[in-house]
Amino acid sequence: MSEEQIRTLLQRADAAADAPAFGPVSTGRIRQRIHRRWFMRSAALMTVAAVTTVAATLWTICMRVEKSPPEPPAIASLETQIEQLRAQTDATLRLVQEVLEKDRQERHLASLEAELASIPDPKFEIERQVDKTAFILVYQADKLYKELSQTESAVAAYKEVIQLFPENRWADVARERLSQIERRQINNSDKGEAKCKPQSA
Amino acid sequence: MAAMAKITEEQALVERFRRGDDSAFDRIVERHSAEVAALANRLLGWPGDVDDVVQDVFVAAFVHLKKFRGECRLRTWLFTITVNKCRSHRLRRRRRLRVRRLDDVEVTAGHDQTAERPAMDEETSVRIRGAVQALPRKYREVVVLRYLQGLEPGEVGELLGIRVNAVQVRLNRAKKRLKEQLGNLLEEKS
Repeated sequence: MSEEQIRTLLQRADAAADAPAFGPVSTGRIRQRIHRRWFMRSAALMTVAAVTTVAATLWTICMRVEKSPPEPPAIASLETQIEQLRAQTDATLRLVQEVLEKDRQERHLASLEAELASIPDPKFEIERQVDKTAFILVYQADKLYKELSQTESAVAAYKEVIQLFPENRWADVARERLSQIERRQINNSDKGEAKCKPQSA
Repeated sequence: MAAMAKITEEQALVERFRRGDDSAFDRIVERHSAEVAALANRLLGWPGDVDDVVQDVFVAAFVHLKKFRGECRLRTWLFTITVNKCRSHRLRRRRRLRVRRLDDVEVTAGHDQTAERPAMDEETSVRIRGAVQALPRKYREVVVLRYLQGLEPGEVGELLGIRVNAVQVRLNRAKKRLKEQLGNLLEEKS
């Protein structure tokens, strides 16, 4: 299909349509229209300006109302709130002080316990001293017996240890020493009797 | 020569209007109102009543005619205003409250040209006009200006502010769409 055919078809369809209708166009009517448009625009602008002014005025009034002093019930309510806040603050402070005091006491108690722990047990100390004394006595007795050959003094010292500290381990040592001394004395006496017997026998 | 004389006469009318002679504007209206109305009618989908658009076009022309520099023909300048007003009018169509139908109907030159051709049946013509209206705006405008207003592609490009190549491309695409929409109708009727 050529361009000319399309053109022809479109023109025929256009011709079949209703002719356009429009009113007379004159300079007078155009001026009226322009004036009407100007009037509408001015009216719209003035309306917008008026609305803006009214809104601004209302806003200003509202702001003033908001800034005016509050009514008595509002003040009472505020005072109540302030009192409540103050009471809450006091209670919180008291609680903090109590917690601090408790902490201080706990620290003091801990230091006392540490000090007490550092003190040695008296019973243990006594036992230690008893053990030490018994040891010294046994030691002296050993010295008397082995180095000075004072058997009787040594035996007396061992017996003293046994008497004074019968439950101590050094008392056992002393008993053992005494038994050794006795066995030695018996041996010595056996050897002396044998010397006294005749050679023939 | 006739065209040159016409241009010179248009320039003289514009100059007279600039000097404050309102009758010069009346003469311009008398000379171009039918074409403007026909173009508006076609661009708006053949509604018949195009009074508002025509009035708007000439109000705009009245306001801006003093700034018309004569770089194009007055007719082209008025068509440019018409195209723009029709675009705005289509957007505002739903909001338009008042429709006036006046008795004194003027017939366009385009109708005179087709008066001797055999009449097309109503259904077919409605279908063809509907197909033109269904085209996207940029295609519809070039089709109306080129095929119904009879403007040259260069003039259409100048009017729409596009290049001649773009006019041809749009015309080809518009033809393709019309063929798609009208189917065999174009073949039969041609």
